[in-house]
Order: sequence, then C-alpha cells, then structure tokens
Amino acid sequence: MDCEEANRLLDAYLDRELDLRRHLELEQHLSLCLSCQSLAQELEEFRLLFMASAQTIKAPPQLRANVLAAVRREQAKRSFAFLRQPWVYAAAVVVLSLFLALNILLPDAEGELSRQAVLRHSYSLAPDHPLDVASANPRVVKSWLTVKLDFAPPVVGSPASGYSLVGGRVDVIQNRSVAALIYKHDNDVVTLFCWPPKKEHLSKRNHFIEGYHVRTWGNAECNYIVVSKLSDREMDEFMDSFRVHVQSGAYF
Amino acid sequence: MEQKRPTFEELCLPHLGAAYILARLLLRSDQDAQDVVQEAYLRALKGFKGFRGDNARPWLMMIVRNAAYSWLKKHAKEANMLPFDPAIYATSTDKPLSESSREERIQQLREAFKRLPIEAREILALREIEGLSYEQLASALKVPLGTVMSRLSRARQRLREEFAGIRHTELQDGL
Repeated sequence: MDCEEANRLLDAYLDRELDLRRHLELEQHLSLCLSCQSLAQELEEFRLLFMASAQTIKAPPQLRANVLAAVRREQAKRSFAFLRQPWVYAAAVVVLSLFLALNILLPDAEGELSRQAVLRHSYSLAPDHPLDVASANPRVVKSWLTVKLDFAPPVVGSPASGYSLVGGRVDVIQNRSVAALIYKHDNDVVTLFCWPPKKEHLSKRNHFIEGYHVRTWGNAECNYIVVSKLSDREMDEFMDSFRVHVQSGAYF
Repeated sequence: MEQKRPTFEELCLPHLGAAYILARLLLRSDQDAQDVVQEAYLRALKGFKGFRGDNARPWLMMIVRNAAYSWLKKHAKEANMLPFDPAIYATSTDKPLSESSREERIQQLREAFKRLPIEAREILALREIEGLSYEQLASALKVPLGTVMSRLSRARQRLREEFAGIRHTELQDGL
C-alpha cells in the first residue's frame, strides 16, 4: 500500500470500517510511514476535539420540563380519545345492561318484601277473611291500629278521588308487624302496608308480581308497600296523590 | 410473571440531552433545537406502540433527525436565503474566547461546524455523536455505502478547512 491509497482509506480505517485485509495493510503501512502516521494522529485528535465540542452542548434546564409537560398533555388527550372509541361505548352498554338485569333477576331484600306483601294482600281477598277494623273513618282505623301495633300509621281517608277507606288490619310481613290499610276503588281492592323503618327506608320502586302491581316507597317515618290489580296508570295516580297527602300532613 | 413494559418516559427521557445535541448540531440554534426536540418526543410518543426493545436511543435519534428535516423544509426559505451570520447563532452557552487553548479550539470548532451545509452536519453528527456505522448511515440516509464514505470524507475535509480558516483569522486578528 502506498501513501496515496493510505490517505484515501485513513478515515475508514479510523472508523474501523475497513475490511480486515485492508485494515491490516494500512496498519502495516502506518507502522512504517511517519508522515501517514502523523496524519492519522491529527485526524484522530480532530475527531476527539469534535466529540468534546458536542459535549459542551447542554440542553437548557426548561427543555425537560417543557417536553414532559407536552408529552403528558398528549397522553391525557389520548386516554380520553380511547374512551370515545365506539367499542368502549358498546362494552359499557353491555356491562350496564348486565348490571340492571342482574339487579332485577336476583333476589333482593326489597323484592322479597314486595312478594310477601302480595301474598298477604291476595290472602286478604278471600271472602271469609274479615277486616280487623271495618270503618271508613280514618280516626277509628288509626286508633285501633295504634293500639294493636307499637307505632301510629298515617291514615289517609281518601288518598285519591274514587278511592275510599274500608278498614284496616294488622298483618305480618317478614316477621314484622305492619299496618294494612284497605281501600276500595270500584271493584278493585288496594292494600297499603306500612311500618316504621328500622335502618334504611324503602326506595321508590315498581314491581309486577304474579299479576299484581306493587309500589314501594319510604321516608324517615314510614315504609309503604301498595298492592293491587289496578293498572299501572291508576297505581301511579294513587301513589302520587297518596304521597302528596303524607308530605303535606293531610292524614290522621 | 410477565415483566411490565417500560413506559415511554422511562425509555425516552434519558436521551433528552443527546436529542438536544443532535438537534442543535443540525439546526444551529438553541430555540429551534428545543422546538424540534419537543416535536420529536411527541412523534415518538405517537409511534411508541410499535417500538420494541430496551434501547430507544437509535430509534429516537432518527425521529429527531427527521423532525429537524421537517423543520428545515418548513423554514427552508429563511434557512437558505440568508447568508450565514455567526451573530444570529451565537448563544449564551458559548464561552468567551479569552479562555484556555483547548476551550478556544472547541469554540472555534463549533463555529466551523455551523458553517457546513446540512448534509455534512447531519452525517458528521450521526457518525461521531450517535456512533452509527457506515451500514446504519446508508440505511438511515437512504444512500449507497459508497456515498456514505465519500460524503463523510468530504464533510470532515470541509470541517477541517473551516476550522483552519477560523483559527487563521482569529490568530491574525489577535496580532
């Protein structure tokens, strides 16, 4: 190898990119040629100087904070975008539906109460089952019930137009003594069970159990379950009107 | 138990300094370099899902380089039309020339580098700072191996000439 070729290959040699044969040849040449050797040294020092000069470039302190903030903003945007994807919505709907379905199908305490209320109501419809107290006078019904039970049920005389009190009785639902108020509307019988809540009061719910409509409701003073074969609309009317009476204190 | 995949921040933030150096070498200005680094990190975040491995540096540096090119294309008019004015590109991180000899030379070398055209700056930065092999350079720059070698040679030659020129001028001014 002569100096001309050596000079040409020097960069690649110093970069360790020459094939083995030429690398060894150049190495050999350098050991013999002082001028090429000093050129090689110059080039190597220059490279080191260049690397040192690059190392003096320091990122300004705010760069890290700025980049981090930008990256995190973008990440936040992307996680919201994920939530907006259609399949996420679909999955959420499925989960929600399952949840609702399970809530309706699985036995729950309130549902059980309503079922028992329906049972007691249907028993009471048997012709030979008398009322404990038969009176259209709410005061009479109330005082009788208060004696028999350890609480005073609110007795609404006429909870809605067309409904009249016919009497009351003491009943038992899930081992609880409850007051039952019986109303008549045309040919339909409506039983309104009520008792004071022990812990939490009933939530406002609708049930349809074995052909009967059931409405549950509760406040701090009383839990109510209303059972009858009235239509949904009639039940709603009854309940709305009844609630108004209770909330406005229009009862005995 | 499968190991948790490293986060974007864990893999990429450690290379912030190197990313800035590369951007600075390519763009010659501190503010532009900062903008490009931020843009590069956002692009890297977007493409992070497809990244495999535990060393993000080479991957990230190519993103920085491409972001620098996008920036240069966008600002091409300004970059090419104006003559190179060292005053525009001077920054507070430059040390005054009255310091020791090696630091002087380092500053002069940085000046000389700024005067090179973009292809030369790019290939020198990727070779010397990022340590890319000739093969890696060929695939990164999408040129044949021979072009890599000649471009590198010319760039180094040019840098030496610019450097010598600056030193000569300053030595003369000093007299």
